[in-house]
Amino acid sequence: MSIRIEDLSKKFEGQAAVQNATIEVGTGKLVALLGPSGSGKTTLLRLIAGLEFPDAGRVFFHGEEVTQKSAYERRAGFVFQHYALFQHLSVFDNIAFGLEVRPRATRPPKAEIRERVHCLLKLVQLEAFAKRFPAQLSGGQRQRVALARALAIEPRVLLLDEPFGALDAKVRKELRAWLRRFHDETHITSLFVTHDQEEAFEVADEVVILNHGFIQQTGTPGVVQSAPANAFVQDFLGLDFQI
Amino acid sequence: MAGAIQDLTSIRSRTRPRRATEESALVRWTLISISFLFFAAFLLLPLVAVFAEAFRRGAALYFKTFTDPVTLDAIKLTLFTSAIAVPCNTVFGVAAAWAITRFQFRGREFFSTLIDLPLWVSPVIGGLIYVLLFGSQGLLGPWLIAHHWKIIYSTPGIVIATVFVTFPFVARGLIPLMQAQGIAEEEAALTLGAKGWQVFWRVTLPKIKWGLLYGIILCNARAMGEFGAVSVVSGHIRGLTNTVPLQIEILYNEYSFAAAFALASLLSLLALATLGLKTYIEWRARQQLEQSQH
Repeated sequence: MSIRIEDLSKKFEGQAAVQNATIEVGTGKLVALLGPSGSGKTTLLRLIAGLEFPDAGRVFFHGEEVTQKSAYERRAGFVFQHYALFQHLSVFDNIAFGLEVRPRATRPPKAEIRERVHCLLKLVQLEAFAKRFPAQLSGGQRQRVALARALAIEPRVLLLDEPFGALDAKVRKELRAWLRRFHDETHITSLFVTHDQEEAFEVADEVVILNHGFIQQTGTPGVVQSAPANAFVQDFLGLDFQI
Repeated sequence: MAGAIQDLTSIRSRTRPRRATEESALVRWTLISISFLFFAAFLLLPLVAVFAEAFRRGAALYFKTFTDPVTLDAIKLTLFTSAIAVPCNTVFGVAAAWAITRFQFRGREFFSTLIDLPLWVSPVIGGLIYVLLFGSQGLLGPWLIAHHWKIIYSTPGIVIATVFVTFPFVARGLIPLMQAQGIAEEEAALTLGAKGWQVFWRVTLPKIKWGLLYGIILCNARAMGEFGAVSVVSGHIRGLTNTVPLQIEILYNEYSFAAAFALASLLSLLALATLGLKTYIEWRARQQLEQSQH
């Protein structure tokens, strides 16, 4: 399930947040949107998810245009920086949510939902926590629940907005490695936003660098580091001056 | 000498150490005394007086008041009016709060301010506007007469006037709450495939339930106790268009003091019950907030 965006633009109150963005994320790839604060990367992710509608441009999931579709129609799993877990629901109910809200016709029977949720809990290594509530979990555990919740709907793509931004350094490193391993197992097309270049280079297959709403460069970590496209990229990545 | 100093320090360490930002004991106790005196004079004493007067002629007469058919009609009308006004304003309040906190539209601030209008306007005006609109000399008067619809000096008028004065309570309870809670959970629900109504029912409502309950009980207390606006539109027709507050006034003007105060004690009990519920709700809401902020 590939993602393609063509010429996407979005303004907020006269200020351009994203300008003429064109990206291609191949099926099964894990791509990082990297850039400083205010570069438009979260806006871009939200445009792809359907949480914002663009002023111009188009979004395609595996060739099918989804530009006019709203968030609940796109089936793009979204993981928020601050988890956005449902505080009043248990871990189990949080993960089952996406399945419970399906229309009667496509809703799986209760037993199947239970099985799927337990499968996901096992995947994120939180089997013992099914009955707990989000307030009783640590940051890293909450983020894993958020991930399991997004995966429950069998999303076409997975979008992560600074998934480890709210966690402390040690947990961040652990989850980073975990995410990479996880992606290698599941091969779900994923796009994640980060301002941490170490994270981007360690985890992603490809990196898209943004600044002021414009895409500066796209490429594998190796290419970007050895051949920065312009002064900004060079500066942002802290590379030595290369003639 | 050293012994005396030691005694002093041990005394001081036995009394509660003063927090850095706290006033001196004198200032504290002065403020507390003034507040309590004010509370006692204006709230406690009248409350006690109501019950004292109500039971002045004995408990038997107190309970006999509630067997009077006219009084019973007044109680029924009050309950009926609240039963309509409170659900109406709940639905309106939730819709208005949702629109104001979730949408961006021109005139949003103005609309939000307008919702508070019934709170600034004198309740008498709240009744008068409907007399001017629906009364026989009013704007829609002739049209209503032609269709045999009575609004003023009849139950519909009372209900409408009550809806007007209790308009803002639910909305005001919800707007700051919903603004503070943010939309992250609701956006998450959208990405998981929930549609508008499902998001509201499964995500928003559980989060706002204490704020909503708070607004509802305040709305109810005001609806049952409203005097001014209802007085203007009701016509004071005994047994037909008298609510409890109006009936209290009539009984008092007829020198049936014990009966008037007996009925007033009912409203006082409502006030106490509202206060109790409100305190409970605030406590639960605080609990919920603390739990979600671990």
